[in-house]
Amino acid sequence: MSTLSQKPLAERRAPQRPAPARPVAPALSVRDVRISDRTAGREIVRGVSFTLAPGRTVGIVGESGSGKTLTCRAALGILPPHFEITGGSVEIEGRDIGGLTPAEWTALRGATISAVFQDPASYLNPSIPVGRQVAEVVRIKKGAGRREARRQALELLRAVHLRDPELVYSQYVFELSGGMLQRVLIAAAVAADPHILIADEATTALDVTVQAEILDLLADLRERTDLALVVVSHDLAVVAQLCDEVLVMRRGEVVEQGPTEEVLHRPRHAYTRLLIAEHEQYGLERFRTAEEDA
Amino acid sequence: MVRRVLSLPSGRIAVCVLAVIALLAASGPLLAPQDPLAAGDTPLAAASGAHWLGTDYLGRDVLSRLLDGSRVSVLGSLEVALTALVVGVVPGILSVYLGRTFEWLTLRLADTLVALPFLLFAVAVVALLGNGITQAMLVTGVLVSPLFYRVSRAATLAVARSPYVEAALVSGAAIGWVVRRHVLAKVLPPIAVALAQTVGTGFVIVSSLTFLGIGVQPPAPTWGGLLASDLGYLGQRPWAPVAPALLIMVTVWACNVLADALRDVSGEAGRALLNSRRARAHRLDEADPAPAGGTR
Amino acid sequence: MTTTKEQAREPAAPADGRSAAGARARHGLGRVLATVARSAALFVPVFLVATFVTFALRSLSGLSPARIQLGEQATPEAIARVEAQWGLDRPFLVQYGDWIGGVLHGQLGASWTNGADISTLIGLGLGVSLSVATLALVIGVLAGFALGTLAALRRTTWIDRAVTGFVTVISVMPAFVVGIVLVAVLAVGLGLFPSAGYVEPGQGIGPWLAHITLPAVALSLDVVADVARQLRSSLVAAYRENYVTGALVRGLSPRRIFFTHVLRNGLGPALATLGLKFPSLVGASVVTEWIFGLQGFGRFANDSAQSGDVPAVQGVLVVSIVLVVAFNLVVNLVLARVTPAAQRGV
Repeated sequence: MSTLSQKPLAERRAPQRPAPARPVAPALSVRDVRISDRTAGREIVRGVSFTLAPGRTVGIVGESGSGKTLTCRAALGILPPHFEITGGSVEIEGRDIGGLTPAEWTALRGATISAVFQDPASYLNPSIPVGRQVAEVVRIKKGAGRREARRQALELLRAVHLRDPELVYSQYVFELSGGMLQRVLIAAAVAADPHILIADEATTALDVTVQAEILDLLADLRERTDLALVVVSHDLAVVAQLCDEVLVMRRGEVVEQGPTEEVLHRPRHAYTRLLIAEHEQYGLERFRTAEEDA
Repeated sequence: MVRRVLSLPSGRIAVCVLAVIALLAASGPLLAPQDPLAAGDTPLAAASGAHWLGTDYLGRDVLSRLLDGSRVSVLGSLEVALTALVVGVVPGILSVYLGRTFEWLTLRLADTLVALPFLLFAVAVVALLGNGITQAMLVTGVLVSPLFYRVSRAATLAVARSPYVEAALVSGAAIGWVVRRHVLAKVLPPIAVALAQTVGTGFVIVSSLTFLGIGVQPPAPTWGGLLASDLGYLGQRPWAPVAPALLIMVTVWACNVLADALRDVSGEAGRALLNSRRARAHRLDEADPAPAGGTR
Repeated sequence: MTTTKEQAREPAAPADGRSAAGARARHGLGRVLATVARSAALFVPVFLVATFVTFALRSLSGLSPARIQLGEQATPEAIARVEAQWGLDRPFLVQYGDWIGGVLHGQLGASWTNGADISTLIGLGLGVSLSVATLALVIGVLAGFALGTLAALRRTTWIDRAVTGFVTVISVMPAFVVGIVLVAVLAVGLGLFPSAGYVEPGQGIGPWLAHITLPAVALSLDVVADVARQLRSSLVAAYRENYVTGALVRGLSPRRIFFTHVLRNGLGPALATLGLKFPSLVGASVVTEWIFGLQGFGRFANDSAQSGDVPAVQGVLVVSIVLVVAFNLVVNLVLARVTPAAQRGV
């Protein structure tokens, strides 16, 4: 594990956005989390730490198999079978997730922490109109009546910039495009007003323009509701656009961690430099120069 | 494939059971301790040294009748399976190659046959076309052939669309050669599975028909006929149906086990074809999120 | 934001601001109509082929009403006279056209043995058979769902293995074997049920149920086994789908996830199995009605077939095909409602 990641995070705030006036309790704090595959007896994730305050964003970058998705799943309490947290701790709003009962998890998810994923079509039930799945969350998590849940769901669909929410509400997954589905998935994820949202490769399968729009939408939600965002991607550009802090992961280890602009400008690890070099020609420069100007 | 089936315990058991049944069918009449048709003077006797399984309402030895009747059941079910095989597989494979009209016709025919209540149809056809077990089994074989049609068609479609077959066709190979060389290798495993299943189905049908007295004239012994005659004397011999019923069930079970074993060893391809629903790729690797949350 | 650009590319976005409610209603109705149309497209060729084969049976069988009425020693002239009476001397296709016209009007012709109206005869037996078949379906669905769900929720535990074992055992028991065992144990042995006969529901629901329970159970085991097996595997598969994870992170309870998300999608294949199972249910009624002494549809089929009464057998087959097709239409409509995506082959 790199020594970098053990430095106190407060020292490395992104300067381009003002830090909160007074210190706020972290929404999510992950401390030296280790995850093992019980059947293979291997440690897959070897020590991940970060602290996330409300309204701020942390990005996790790495190739597939680097352990970034497992880390997120651990924070959501949905590790695949045979996987378990074997070290460290995860606290959601000061609450250690180690001792949570299934019922407590159910109460926590959706209302406090939620997530969106890659391939939104598969994360929505194909047999139920998408609007009803958003309304379902409002109804169950906020105890709203049917009519009220429908009204709020329509509002949510409008809030994620879907034109004609009334029509989308009654459509099925197979009738919508990937970009629209990701908006619906985000609407469902934030329906119960969570404080933390994990976006695991949420823009990966989308084409570039749609991807930019979804990232704008996430930023927009963050500003409006003081949402704490965890953005996971294999794509450095996505992280650069949105995050205050970046973790670069490789083979289960954090190889580099720090404020976004520092990692982008002064990468210390060879792997980070490689990632950046790969991106030079795909417009990452735009973000770097923009930040330099600011 | 045979060796791999025998390497599974379930496959070994199934093959053993079926071998015993086949042996009974081949030599049953010789093994029968007494004349299965000879009426004795002790009707409805319980099991004893002289009559291991007792006697029926005419005093005939049940064991002898059971052994003698095994031939009808085994031959009948094999007839069903082989008829279904020929009637189903040939158009199934050809439907992929012989053009749209043929494809449409055979698909509709298969739909029709599936929609027919085949026991009812078999009863009707057999009764009208003359009382013979062979006709009965031929008709039943045609009625259950859509299984083979679908299986062989699906397998052929999968192979026909594969690049190496297209390459062979493009490079000028004859259709017949392609079918023999490439298609059969892929199509045979699922067909073997279907065959084992159909033999089991055939047993049920033969037993049902002979139970109704269709296909075989009364004095000749059959497993179904034994059950039918026992039905009238349940008050006197309540345990009489056990032996023929068990024989039928064990045979059918062995056929199903054999089908499962064949499916297991025929690899991913065979399974996928029979169970296309399950073959859908799971998007999240092997992840299987626990329904009840929590990581402990 | 550049949402307009994105949605300009979306084919699903409406071109104008027509009311969403109207679009929704059209959606629903359209789906039902499409399902009916698809089923009808399947039904018409099935019906035509099946009836043609059925009708061709008479010519193949060489049977004629003359033999039944006049006996074996009839003179050729007498036979010709009787056959002319029944219109059997006309060309085959004319006879078929005539007959199919009658069938479309609900007329199945007259019995060769006693000249009675076959529609009426079948109608008499249908009440018995449908009572038994309906009860068998109810038992099959309830028990099959309970067992399949139990095995899926407790998968890889001993409960799962026990259910799977039980299902394997009952799936190899032919209906007539089950029937005999039930008669031997519950009717003759313990005297809990009548061993044969039928009572109209008008004469009391209790006796009616008592008479149809055993045959229904005998018929249902096959359905129980197939539904349980199919439901188990499709529920297990549904639990692996991502939308379950999606519902989980939205904070829905395991119970809610099961009932509204998993069950709904797992139901489709099990329902389809039910549709495929129905023909064999109708077929097996021939055997169960024989065992339990019920004067139903299957018994009528058997008796007519054995006496060579061709029009009666043809009528039975037509009715059975109509039953199967009607049942499958209902299944398809329910399927279209429960899993709309699967219906589009998505």
